[in-house]
Amino acid sequence: MSGGIARGRLAEERKAWRKNHPHGFVAKPETMADGSANLMIWHCTIPGKQGTDWEGGYYPLTLHFSEDYPSKPPKCKFPQGFFHPNVYPSGTVCLSILNEDSGWRPAITVKQILVGIQDLLDQPNPADPAQTDGYHIFIQDKPEYKRRVRVQAKQYPALL
Amino acid sequence: MQAAAEADEEELEPLFDYSRVQPTMAFSFDDTDIEKSDIFVHCNKRRKVADGDGDANADEKGDKGEQKAAAGAKAAAVVDLGEEDWLPPPPPPKPKSTVTDELEQSSVLKELRLQKQAMAKFAESADDFLEKLAQTARQKVEARIPTEHIDLDKSPERHEAREKVVVTVQDKAGHHQFRLYKDEKFGKLFRAYAKKVNLSVADLTFAFDGDKVDAESTPEDLGLEDEDMVEVLHKTR
Repeated sequence: MSGGIARGRLAEERKAWRKNHPHGFVAKPETMADGSANLMIWHCTIPGKQGTDWEGGYYPLTLHFSEDYPSKPPKCKFPQGFFHPNVYPSGTVCLSILNEDSGWRPAITVKQILVGIQDLLDQPNPADPAQTDGYHIFIQDKPEYKRRVRVQAKQYPALL
Repeated sequence: MQAAAEADEEELEPLFDYSRVQPTMAFSFDDTDIEKSDIFVHCNKRRKVADGDGDANADEKGDKGEQKAAAGAKAAAVVDLGEEDWLPPPPPPKPKSTVTDELEQSSVLKELRLQKQAMAKFAESADDFLEKLAQTARQKVEARIPTEHIDLDKSPERHEAREKVVVTVQDKAGHHQFRLYKDEKFGKLFRAYAKKVNLSVADLTFAFDGDKVDAESTPEDLGLEDEDMVEVLHKTR
């Protein structure tokens, strides 16, 4: 039953996204081998904000929705080893609005999730570290941190 | 409303009120006393006068006799015929108009007038409603079409055969909407957009769902739906 709710909501989210979304962002359901769409997994791209060290990078993010969506938030994953204080080594994003027990609300849209993560890129939350590498460099060596971020931006150039 | 009705009545009265001219005349559709009724007395009188005109009317008189013999509703027709054949001297006796008595007539007329007014009002309100409907429809259509809307094909032929799709092109500054055929190559849209922003098509990259849109492909190839968003990136930086 709840699976129907999740899929219905995701179909609506997809429809809304096709008609309007922030510039540079991509969000599309996974295409299965038979050509049909799997609404439970979305492949997204988050552009680095202009005027930040993240600019020029187009960061791939995967959203994993559960049958309990939208009661529960999707799991949002960057590639493994993504450099950011609030990203786990597995790539999972640690963000309050994506936490079922704190900031998540069923009304939060895919668009809001992606824009929220774009904001997080340049505004890490040192109170909630998820990886040692990114966290320590961010706290101890800001110039090195900026260099690492810019190097990473070059690793994810625009696909076009 | 009442005053208006009365005014109307006053205007109309001379047309129908022949009672002053023919005060004694009465008419009934009743079969049994139609022969005896005053109207026939009157007609017969006039026929006698007309008899002097000659034999030309003989046939018609014969007809009349037959019709008279026929009972019921035909009596009225007889009366009418008589009136036509024997052109009456003024004032013209019009039995039909005196069929109903004055009171009944006026009340019926009043009712009819009221009904007419009600109908007119109803028609007016219907017109208003239709006007409003048309207006809202127009507004809806206008609302659906944003200011930036360009029809890429002005040739009217084959319009119903080929489906069109509205594509929203998003750049950093905002949105532009273009309408093109579903089986039309994107190259046309690219050129139209480039012309609009004064750039060369070579400096632009179009993308749908993160994939580059080929100038040779069509909206149909990409499964584009109405108002789907295609993004444009300016290569020159």
